[in-house]
Amino acid sequence: MVSRYVLIRGGDELLSIGAADPAEAQAIAEQLRAAGICLEVVAGIDSVVVRFDAVAYDADEVSRLVEDALADGVRPLAASGKLLEIPIVYGGKFGPDLEHACETLGLTADEFIALHTGGEHRVDMIGFTPGFAYIGGLDERLHLPRRTEPRQHVPAGSVGIADGRTGLYSLAGPGGWTLVGRTPFKLFDAAADDPFPIRAGMRIRFRALSAEEWPA
Amino acid sequence: MVLKPGLQTTVQSRSRGGMRHLGVPACGAADPLSLALANRLLGNDWDAPALELTLLGPDLQFDTACCFALAGAPFAATLNGAAIACHEVQRAIPGDLLVTGAALKGARAYLAVAGGIVVEEVLGSASTYLPAGLGGYRGRALAKGDQLSFTPREVQDLTTPVEFRPTMLSAWALRACASFETQKLSGADIARLFETNWTVSRRADRMGMLLEGPALTVTSGGRMPSAAVFPGTVQCPEGGAPFVLAVDAGTTGGYPRIAQLARVDRHLLGQVRPGDHLRFLRREPHAAVEALHAKLDYWRPWLPDIDSILC
Repeated sequence: MVSRYVLIRGGDELLSIGAADPAEAQAIAEQLRAAGICLEVVAGIDSVVVRFDAVAYDADEVSRLVEDALADGVRPLAASGKLLEIPIVYGGKFGPDLEHACETLGLTADEFIALHTGGEHRVDMIGFTPGFAYIGGLDERLHLPRRTEPRQHVPAGSVGIADGRTGLYSLAGPGGWTLVGRTPFKLFDAAADDPFPIRAGMRIRFRALSAEEWPA
Repeated sequence: MVLKPGLQTTVQSRSRGGMRHLGVPACGAADPLSLALANRLLGNDWDAPALELTLLGPDLQFDTACCFALAGAPFAATLNGAAIACHEVQRAIPGDLLVTGAALKGARAYLAVAGGIVVEEVLGSASTYLPAGLGGYRGRALAKGDQLSFTPREVQDLTTPVEFRPTMLSAWALRACASFETQKLSGADIARLFETNWTVSRRADRMGMLLEGPALTVTSGGRMPSAAVFPGTVQCPEGGAPFVLAVDAGTTGGYPRIAQLARVDRHLLGQVRPGDHLRFLRREPHAAVEALHAKLDYWRPWLPDIDSILC
């Protein structure tokens, strides 16, 4: 049977599988992880890349195993029952780009916050650094480009917007997203029982927190 | 005890595997082969936690008797003022002063102690991952006054056979294959990518290295939906200067992936320093895997775990 998935070879130990959208990419990745063929299975926005052990496996063999694992179609992931609430302090020192973003969008800060906290969102993917969440479902009125000059230092917990998504910075570091707020929610905690409390596919709701409510 | 910390001295061991989908990078020794060579001399497991010295190493004072070994980039190291050699077991007694000095060539050396440095494993490895402050010695690079603990163990004298001492260079030719977005470069730019003798910029660390040379142009304009990247992925950001990802690099990125260093030569990235020259030798994937098998076969007599070391 010929798979409807397009496999592309990259380098000597990588294989990319095309996906229609982030949800399908996550579903493909989950199915391939369950098949246990590869060292790493990493979903992107519209692709999944697997890294295999080139000493143990020949690439054609891996392609066949991947096609076999997907031959009966991809089971959509069960909609995660869990709704995770992410508290955010918007604007001010917590979201230094909010004011400029509102000017660009022709919104007041209150309108921006109402739109951002209004709908339900979904974690499209985790990537970049441990626990960094790319969250889809952003209202079209809030779409903003990346900053032309990336910042050298973005604090952990920063909430950014770029490419039609909300991004949650799990770690402090450089970053180019438009920063509208910050969350005290720990997106990654190596010492916790579950170091990764936020996972791809989770449903997300944002809640506005006042600056006074930021934990001391 | 650490008297002077050096430029960036961290505790490193094996990489972290199977967690890239959670955003956890490979981590681990930038040059795992040299880590394994240092540990081999002391009878340690190849991935026993050791110090990774970067360009300028630390000054250390021993509080207890210790057998140690240096491998990797040659450093102008002295013990109590007398020069000591890499690739052989050295012995220190309490009060001895080890000045590791600067790398003469290459970027990193590994200072292993018999018994290994005692640190806790986090997410499956003892390796330090600086961006998240985890692993290694308190999740950070060494600082003045730090005390490293290990269980002293006596070992036999041993030196690395000459044929198993890696050569350090200042011009590197690393085997690489085409990757997912190579075809987004024009034919002329693909040729440029593989024919240019690139210069490694000052931006070269455990995250990756920016190369200087002719600007490359990607037809799609330089950005794409975020997708998985790996150590050895060569990205082409908007400016057109290739960026080679290293062990601590993020797990996904939004820049075209124009080449992928082959597994056989990826460990050498850990020895490339700013100002070095770097060329990508284009190989078809099957040829890269054949070369990998040949390298594994070469090293196996001295390092039986070579398959895990170059992974």
